[in-house]
Amino acid sequence: MKYFTYIFRNARRNPVRSVLTIASTGICMFLMMLLLSFFANKNEVTDGSKIYNRIVTMNANGFAGMVPVGRIREIVAIDGVKAATPFQWYGGKYHDQVMPFAQFAVDADCIFDILDEFTVPPAQLADFKANKDGTVIGRRLASDWNLEVGDPLPLKGDIFPVDMNLTVRGIYDGPSNRDLRMCLFRFDYLDEALKRVTMSSSSGGSLATNSARASGNAGTIFIKCKTGNGMAGLCKKIDDLYHNSEYPTRTQTEEAFGKMFGEMLGDLKNAIYGIGVAVIVSLLFVAGNAMAMAMRERTSEVAVLKAIGFSKGLVLFLVLTEAILVAGFGGALGSLGCKFFCDVVDIGRYSGGFLPFFYVPWNIAIFGLVLSLFVGFASGYFPALFAANSSVINGLRKVV
Amino acid sequence: MIPIKYNVRNLRVRWKTTLMTMLGTALLVASSCILFGLVEGLEYSLKISGDPLDLIILRKGSSNENTGGFEANKADDVLNLKGIARDENGASLAAKEMLNIAIGERANGTRNNLIIRGVQPASRKLRPDFKIVAGRDLVEGRGECIVSHSLSRRYKGAQVGGQLNFGDKEQYRVVGIFTAGGSAAESEIWADLKDVEKNTGRDGSVSCVQLRAASQADYENIQKTVNDDTQFRLAAVPETIYFENQSRSSLFLKAAGTVIAVLLTFGAMFAAANTMFAAVNSRTREIGTMRALGFSQRDILISFLGESLLLCTLGGLLGLLATLPLNLLTIETSNFSTFASVSITFRFGWTVAAVAMIMTVAMGLFGGMFPALRAVRLEVISALREL
Repeated sequence: MKYFTYIFRNARRNPVRSVLTIASTGICMFLMMLLLSFFANKNEVTDGSKIYNRIVTMNANGFAGMVPVGRIREIVAIDGVKAATPFQWYGGKYHDQVMPFAQFAVDADCIFDILDEFTVPPAQLADFKANKDGTVIGRRLASDWNLEVGDPLPLKGDIFPVDMNLTVRGIYDGPSNRDLRMCLFRFDYLDEALKRVTMSSSSGGSLATNSARASGNAGTIFIKCKTGNGMAGLCKKIDDLYHNSEYPTRTQTEEAFGKMFGEMLGDLKNAIYGIGVAVIVSLLFVAGNAMAMAMRERTSEVAVLKAIGFSKGLVLFLVLTEAILVAGFGGALGSLGCKFFCDVVDIGRYSGGFLPFFYVPWNIAIFGLVLSLFVGFASGYFPALFAANSSVINGLRKVV
Repeated sequence: MIPIKYNVRNLRVRWKTTLMTMLGTALLVASSCILFGLVEGLEYSLKISGDPLDLIILRKGSSNENTGGFEANKADDVLNLKGIARDENGASLAAKEMLNIAIGERANGTRNNLIIRGVQPASRKLRPDFKIVAGRDLVEGRGECIVSHSLSRRYKGAQVGGQLNFGDKEQYRVVGIFTAGGSAAESEIWADLKDVEKNTGRDGSVSCVQLRAASQADYENIQKTVNDDTQFRLAAVPETIYFENQSRSSLFLKAAGTVIAVLLTFGAMFAAANTMFAAVNSRTREIGTMRALGFSQRDILISFLGESLLLCTLGGLLGLLATLPLNLLTIETSNFSTFASVSITFRFGWTVAAVAMIMTVAMGLFGGMFPALRAVRLEVISALREL
């Protein structure tokens, strides 16, 4: 520790260079934090859903398939099921923007018993249950669009041939790492509108017959189980029930269901990780270069140190610590700065519904810090080794 | 003016620093270029997919063929409209198509939603440069399918001779691999329209009709008829516009790419500044000498800015070179407006070149500015006195 003052003074000796290296490391770490948190956030929604004991039923062949809404009654009757709701992706336009946020048609009576991490004021919930055209929206969605209870929320059909003229009846709130940007409205409202279109169609009701866009399709069914233990068994039970039907199902835990969406990213994930690695390698060059330049300027000084009895190892230690100090400081600024930046600025808002929330988790921030310490170590290693092994005579002789 | 040779030699003498800075900036430039190359690839695939005389007929209000279903008898009426182009054999260039999205499994066990397009013979002619590259084309009504080259490399059972199973009822034998000139069709699986109708139980409806008008006048006529006639009340969207709207799905990639490029440019800018400051510091006496010889302050400024630009250009060029082998890079991910698989082929085009150029110039100029200013401000006498 007694050398710390010396190291610190060395780091400040060329303040411009140190500041530039710190800034360079900081900015690259800021970017790394954004990239890593993107995946971490996606995983967190998925992993976080474990505790809620929910399973999701969809058509075995994918989202284009049908899940008859009548099955909800059959599923609720199964032992171990607490409640079930249709969860139909509506994907409508709002203010002519295609898919600005997630919209789901649900069963008003039980949706907040199933998504029980969310809370709605009882009066608002009662209002929602009483009004067919009502919708309950997330707190963040409400603030994004300046919506208040009582405001109209007209959605234009894109996937479905019907428009939904909704009125905000309630605003739900919940933990900050859950999706607070959903618009939940009543399934019966959507279904009745679809029935009307199908009936009145000039071609004798053939529009979208049998397709997923017809009435009576629940899209997916969200099921709340009584306990977490029997979930795997329940999934199998439900799938067996419909195995030989016209619309076989695939039932999985909410976690596995969410994971499926993560998998859809496919190669993009590796591409982004690849860029992260390139950034780190580049940082090694940048920081290494700065350290090497610093050492070149101090050649004779290092020789003096060695001449007055500083050992090789000590010189190595002094130089390495300086490199780690500079890079670590940059990394701390970048990763912690990014964390606080994301806490203050709600990036999720600008992602067009792509990210329900965005923040830098502590473990990612710490990882960034460790990574920058590693960058400091690796970038300082060769200059340090060079300094430690330099010849005293040549160093003393050299005129800088 | 100080000859540029002076700067070149300086960079060469200090080759270790030069090389390190070059490698650092090259990697940063390359990273940004890769992202923009993917954006460009995605946009290119959408641009090339539409011919100016092509129309795509959708249900009114729908923005996407995945969701644009309407009645098959209306579609048949559209096929019989006057003014549809014919190919050399006299067959009309119009096709009903049906899209189904089903879950496929990649070779590594992960899953994604795949587009299965039920097509008619004319569908092939309506895509640019449709080619079977392995196996043969499908025969109608035999449960066969052809798979795009990109998907066939990634999905289980998607190779010639393989079998794609989407549940008990929807199964196709893969008989061929196709390419379509880099257009959007290269993210799809094609099967016979009748087979898809039968397998999905959706006969009686179609997802869209694709057609090519014979002339500009016909094009306008067809558009008017389909949009306004009470018999239809559909939306005839020019394909070019349809795909332009689809390219909004690349917004996310573009935004991410821009953020990354801007941040990395700053990172690289500081790295370049670092190198240039060291260059100025170690040449204090030289600068004094040059001033004493009569070079003006402006000469010095230009010389050091030029050196910084040269350094960054070398790095930028190296970065661009590093992306060259990526012309064969195809990534398969999801389009988040349709939730279906999309294959994006890296494309080296004007955007990529422009990004590299802008990054390089920004780094060189801003990174070199302060060191150059410091060089300019040196006092001649004290600079000459320095060791």
